[in-house]
Amino acid sequence: MADFQPATETAPLLRVEHLRVSYQSFESAAVPALRDIDLTIAPGEMVGLVGESGAGKTTLARSIMGLVPRPGRIDSGRIEFRGQVMAELPDEERRAILGRHLAMVIPNPRSELNPVLTVGQQISNVVRAHSKLGAAEARQTALRMLEAVRIPDPGRRLNAYPHELSGGMAQRVVIAVALACEPSFVISDDATSGLDVTVQAQVLELLQDMVRSRGASALFITRDIAITAHFCDRIAIIYAGEIVEIADTAAFFDRPAHPYSIMLLAAFSHSGDLRRRWTRTEIAVNGSAAGCAFAPRCVRRQPRCEAEHPALRTTHSGHAVRCHFPVEG
Amino acid sequence: MGLVRYIGRRLLFVAPQLLGIIMVSFFLVKLIPGDPAVLMMGPNASQQALDELREKLGLTLPLPQQFLHYIVNVVHGDLGTSWQTTRPVLDDLMDRFPATLELVTLALLVALLIGIPLGIVAAGRSRGPIRKLADVYGLLAGAIPDFWLALVFIYIFYSTLHIAPAPLGRLDLEVVAPPIVTGSMLLDSLIAGDFDALWSSASHLMLPVMTLGLVNAGPILKMTQSTVERTLSSDFIRYAEMCGLPKRTVMRQAVRASLPSIITIVSVLYGFLIGGAVLVEIVFSWGGAGQYAVQGVLNADLNPVLGFVLFSAVFSLVVYLFVDLLYFVLDPRTRG
Repeated sequence: MADFQPATETAPLLRVEHLRVSYQSFESAAVPALRDIDLTIAPGEMVGLVGESGAGKTTLARSIMGLVPRPGRIDSGRIEFRGQVMAELPDEERRAILGRHLAMVIPNPRSELNPVLTVGQQISNVVRAHSKLGAAEARQTALRMLEAVRIPDPGRRLNAYPHELSGGMAQRVVIAVALACEPSFVISDDATSGLDVTVQAQVLELLQDMVRSRGASALFITRDIAITAHFCDRIAIIYAGEIVEIADTAAFFDRPAHPYSIMLLAAFSHSGDLRRRWTRTEIAVNGSAAGCAFAPRCVRRQPRCEAEHPALRTTHSGHAVRCHFPVEG
Repeated sequence: MGLVRYIGRRLLFVAPQLLGIIMVSFFLVKLIPGDPAVLMMGPNASQQALDELREKLGLTLPLPQQFLHYIVNVVHGDLGTSWQTTRPVLDDLMDRFPATLELVTLALLVALLIGIPLGIVAAGRSRGPIRKLADVYGLLAGAIPDFWLALVFIYIFYSTLHIAPAPLGRLDLEVVAPPIVTGSMLLDSLIAGDFDALWSSASHLMLPVMTLGLVNAGPILKMTQSTVERTLSSDFIRYAEMCGLPKRTVMRQAVRASLPSIITIVSVLYGFLIGGAVLVEIVFSWGGAGQYAVQGVLNADLNPVLGFVLFSAVFSLVVYLFVDLLYFVLDPRTRG
């Protein structure tokens, strides 16, 4: 391919172009999960991806890794990571990148960690899969990583099984696994959703520290828009498989433009009035396929919204919104 | 420490379990119509002789009392006498149970050697010739009756090719059985250094072991395949994939996680085969325990039946205890 380039300082680390993924089904037509996603992430950049359950967040994360969950299929578009198209890589090469350059922090570590292997074994397994380290050295790395994620008594935890850990501790282990090989890109998929609020803040801060201090990039997937505000450089809002708004964090919180973004923000606001103003109680049942996906729930719906699908338009520099009638000011 | 306590607690339950099993089988067996006295004396016996015999056998007592007598005898190591063989049931079973055990154990090994590798390999792929082979094999093994396969093998290997010996027992008639040490004809021949007996017993074992092994590889294959398949789509395997672990490592982890389920089906199958091998035993005139029990049922000879049930129950309990210990080793979550 002509556009193959080695990753350089200026080239984006991750480039997603016109990505369409759908879930195939025997009974009915394929269900689109991602519709025309464009997203680039520069080296060292942290991007928040916010949306509700079923918006396609996890599908996007899995597609980037080249592991589209069955029965999903990439219909069109391309995903480049470090200048390579993940989906086109042979199995072995993809495995060499996953966990090494592109690491995932998962949301339910207690069911996703292997129940019959100790924490130390699981970290060393990943380290050894991606380096030439021997068993003893890999174990040393594992111990260092447990220290780095501030697990108390790391020497003892090395021999603990996942079921012996608390939720917060297991989440720290997963972060240790993800960062053990010094990846350049970390995807955090709703990583703290299962934790208590107080622990959540600690773990998030830890994750941010570890990513920043290593100069890595991150895609920070979450349902909680508030937590992105603190440490993401940019924020993308995803709704029904489409990015509906994307902007620098400051600009986004300053001037959110999409009604859905405002609805999300209002949901976390203390003002009940604001919430009521932006949340539609009666949701139109059948939105038209041709129109805006959010129209049925939109408080600013107009006839045009149901007739014509809005394109992602740049309003200000670096601020794009997919809406016919974006909120001004 | 936890292990010792665990075994102790398990053993504590063995006695009540056995008592329950004996009780249920005793009353069930008594429900079978048929009067042992009539069968023993023949159709021309006088009423008086029959009554006397019934009195002697304790058949005139009420059932609960008969049960109590039986239990007391069992505790003293007396399983009663079989009127067909006129020998103590314990002696009969000591002869026959090892024959069945040897056959079934070897057959299970064959089944494991076929079923587990094939199941694992088939689970890793959704199409291809190996997957096809596994699917067809699972279907055939489920559909083909073992006694029929036994007859086919006898026809091919004995009648036609003359490779296998006649399907009549565990040894050639002219070979003297080695002194009994373990009860396994193969091991006893080895211990005695009697290679004629070793060769003869091995060649007699070949066909019945192949029959039972090939048929019972079916359920093991199916179980292995579906368990490994399920594990392969589980959360932690998906996570292992995301971590870029090599395919071999991922597969090894999946198999390792599937072991408890596979061990469970194998242990159930092992206990089942003790009685389930009876048709194959009959075809090969094996003289095993299952055959003995079936003769007992057919002739209202109840002591062999109860003795067989008791032996099988003890055997199953031992297997299950062993399996629980394996779980203990395999799954850290059970160690508590």
